[in-house]
Amino acid sequence: MSTPTTSRAIGTAVLLGLTLAPFLLGPYAVATLSRTLVFALLALSVNLLTGLTGLPTLGQSAYFGVGAYTAAIVAKDLTDIGPLQLLIAAGVSALVAVLTGWLAVRARGVVFLMLTLAIGEIAHSAAVNWKPVTGGTDGVSGIPPVVPLPGMPALELDGLVYFYVLAVFLLLLAAVTRLGATPFALALRGIRDNEPRMKAIGHPTRRYALTVYCGAAALAGAAGSMWVSAQRFVSPGDAGFEIAALALLAVVIGGSGSIRGACAAAALIWLTRDYLGNLEAVAGRGPLLLGLLLVVAVYTLPRGLAGVRLPHQPSRKRAA
Amino acid sequence: MAGWLDGNLVGFVDGIAFGLLLFTIAVGLSLVFGMMDVLNLAHGTLYLGGAYTAYALSDGTLPGLLLALTAGALVGALGGAALTWLTQPLARRGHLDQAVLTLGITFIVADLLAAAFGGEVLPTDPPAALRGTVDLLGHTYPVYRLVFIAVAACLAVLVHLLFERSSLGALVRATVADRDMVRAQGVDIRKVLYGVFALGAALAAVGGVLGAPTLGPGPGVDESVLVLSLVVVVVGGLGSVRGALVGALLIGQVQTLGVALLPQYAPFLLFGTMLAVLVVRPHGLVASAVRT
Amino acid sequence: MAGRFHPLVLITVTTGLLLATGCGGASLGTGDDNKQAGPVKIGLLVPQSGTYKALGDDMKQGFELYVRQHGGRLGGREVQIVTADEGETADSGKAAAEKLVKQDRVLAVSGVVSSATVNGVKDLFETSRIPLVGSNASPTTLTGTEYIWRTSYVNDEPGKALGRHVAERAGGPVFLIAAGYQAGKDEIEGFKSTFLPAGGKIAGEEVYTPFPGTKNFQPYLSQIENSGAKAVFCFYAGGAAVDFVKQYRDFGLAGKIPLYAPGFLTEGGVLKGQGDAAEGILTALNYSADLDNAANRQFAPAYRAAHGTDPTTYAMASWDAAQVLDKAIGAAGSAVTPETVNAALSSVGDIDSPRGTWRFNSGGTPIQPWYLREVKLGANTVAGDLGRLGG
Repeated sequence: MSTPTTSRAIGTAVLLGLTLAPFLLGPYAVATLSRTLVFALLALSVNLLTGLTGLPTLGQSAYFGVGAYTAAIVAKDLTDIGPLQLLIAAGVSALVAVLTGWLAVRARGVVFLMLTLAIGEIAHSAAVNWKPVTGGTDGVSGIPPVVPLPGMPALELDGLVYFYVLAVFLLLLAAVTRLGATPFALALRGIRDNEPRMKAIGHPTRRYALTVYCGAAALAGAAGSMWVSAQRFVSPGDAGFEIAALALLAVVIGGSGSIRGACAAAALIWLTRDYLGNLEAVAGRGPLLLGLLLVVAVYTLPRGLAGVRLPHQPSRKRAA
Repeated sequence: MAGWLDGNLVGFVDGIAFGLLLFTIAVGLSLVFGMMDVLNLAHGTLYLGGAYTAYALSDGTLPGLLLALTAGALVGALGGAALTWLTQPLARRGHLDQAVLTLGITFIVADLLAAAFGGEVLPTDPPAALRGTVDLLGHTYPVYRLVFIAVAACLAVLVHLLFERSSLGALVRATVADRDMVRAQGVDIRKVLYGVFALGAALAAVGGVLGAPTLGPGPGVDESVLVLSLVVVVVGGLGSVRGALVGALLIGQVQTLGVALLPQYAPFLLFGTMLAVLVVRPHGLVASAVRT
Repeated sequence: MAGRFHPLVLITVTTGLLLATGCGGASLGTGDDNKQAGPVKIGLLVPQSGTYKALGDDMKQGFELYVRQHGGRLGGREVQIVTADEGETADSGKAAAEKLVKQDRVLAVSGVVSSATVNGVKDLFETSRIPLVGSNASPTTLTGTEYIWRTSYVNDEPGKALGRHVAERAGGPVFLIAAGYQAGKDEIEGFKSTFLPAGGKIAGEEVYTPFPGTKNFQPYLSQIENSGAKAVFCFYAGGAAVDFVKQYRDFGLAGKIPLYAPGFLTEGGVLKGQGDAAEGILTALNYSADLDNAANRQFAPAYRAAHGTDPTTYAMASWDAAQVLDKAIGAAGSAVTPETVNAALSSVGDIDSPRGTWRFNSGGTPIQPWYLREVKLGANTVAGDLGRLGG
């Protein structure tokens, strides 16, 4: 029996669980949850492009990486105040997206996918080879612990860092949810469902696409800065193909542009990879588990996690 | 000028060898996408299957290589048929669902292969008869790679004739252009689909057998082959044999001659080329009937 | 959103259950004293999947062999080995290290293949005060640590060990080529630091090949051929080592221009992959399976009997890591905690190892002998002494 009331009840229960987690769980589990929330933010960023606008991307790792390295450098040389790092990281990522995005948004479909893959791979190569800035393959370590607001103490304990990550996650989640209800979001859905018609009635669709591309990059950059707050370390792998692919997979499994679906699928993928994969019994067969998860999800959830519904409701058409 | 040519001749020849290897691998990916509208991210896994087949069957003799080629083609064809069967239910659900499924298959098969063959890279030796070097205008060059160029060029011509000149190819191209029309003619589309996927996959696996001495099987090789193939077909233009050939030869030169001439940019050359091509020609160098 | 939220319940419940299995003290306190009663837990952080799996298997087998040979005990205490998958990237390695330290509450950790992982986990071990007795990765940049030890070497030492020898033998300029990541740069710098003072000449510019992703070495091999070099010094490991050595032979350079390298080029499984292409390659390493000393007589035959292959330096360094922990736990006495074990590590003194005798220097890395090895009939054989390094 699913009604708006139960749906809200479930949402509240999830929120309550997330809030109580540090009191109940050990430090490693909580640190894993922090990483999962960051990955969910990245999935939300991909969802803005792929779920909402219909632009499948394999390149969000580039902006995630730009944000993470920016935040790491800011934290080491400028300020240890988290929100400042986040704003600077998001700004730099958006700027990089303006410079690279005009290339990508000229294309659609698989060509867009390939262009973003190229952008992602070039970013990864830059992280490996631009040693003075990125520290090469060794990455950037020795990042000071994050200070949530001026005057507050630096957060060392996993549980406290988690609360900071959770607070930022909820703020950004609320912002993205609000965005979904604006006329602009409606225009983006129009691009996804029927771009020629949108063009015909006078919408500058390419400019819209570039705008959302930069917005998504800013969100990925913010996620990158949270990654640095949670991990206090960044290396080229963070800007790599695997991260980009997993984020895209999370959005697809989440289903039809649903924000909650994307978050849930991100959690599922990340916990499978990081938590189950590290159990003794699995003994390094993490990739196998992840593969099985993907195959099972694709066959059993034709509309994604968010698309599971009761039979008496009319189903919405899923956009490819 | 003459000195420059002399210094880079080997690079140019090797670029052709590498390009033809890429063509053999990538043409199937291009056709499967063009014909069946399936984005198959398990393509690198087919190469890996062929390369491991070569490792298991090669014994340093020419008959051993022929046996490996036959077995590899069979493994590839079976893999292609299995992938067709697995992706059929998703035919109407768009590329992204296919991407999830085929990536999942990639992870699973890679894990099983690593469990079976261990974590080492295992390149095979070419047959003893082809092991030496020849003198190429004063530079040494492996005999096997020259033989490879000949074999792969024959394959490329065969595939080209099959798809661009035969009535069977006409049927395939018609299916690419307008599937419903072909169905209305009373042709069993499914047979065509299975056939093309099996053939493309067999080619990828044959590429794995032939490429095993240079690009031996091991963990992670499937991903690098997949990425290279994607770059080749996108640069060349999806869905045509000629496009795959042009893209493969270009990327082959970029990865050999380009690396030799611009060593400091080597890490960025591959994707830089792809970006540059797509900026000028969003649908690749050879436009085809496929709408992407 | 109505009615499209069921799976989320499922996920929340499973997540909750998953994480609840990992309770180990709340995440908001500093936790209690990590005193090990009963069997002591030792964490092994090695790759069990991905590109470095083969190395990880070697390390695990070496460590476990020592424990098996000593009745499942280290320092007189029963041992429980907890393995975690380092994976391919620094991230997966860091997550696995956190699990060992924060959830399994191990006494000490050994293993670690990649330099990037070591950098990523440095702060974790220093702040949680748990000793890491690493048995492979050891970047030159890792200094000033109190809880991190390595039983392997520092990344620039194999190059350092070889520089002088090559300068004396090459009889002309030497071509330098390495994989383009930190370890490659460390090795080249180490090599130059002893090669240039001994009068060595470099042919052209040193070359770094893109890593990972270089599969076809033809452009570089042609460069080597055209450079007029009398010898080549290269650094490759894993899959790239197999590709490089095979293609070096395919292009007719093997046997014409001698190839020198840090020992990883021909160590363990990669040597099988290279087959007869590796014949005659000269490498520098702190170990060779054919060394004749008491410890190696105890180690190598037992390893061969268990796994059917010659032991590698990775297995040997892990065997030594277990030996070092054995001594330290024994010396820690009745109160075995990470801190007492770490204190005991600094005074374990001379280690009687299959590589010969070695001891920790003040930076926590070995002062040890180095050997020149030559590949003969598909096996590395000792061809000379390169002196001691690390002091």
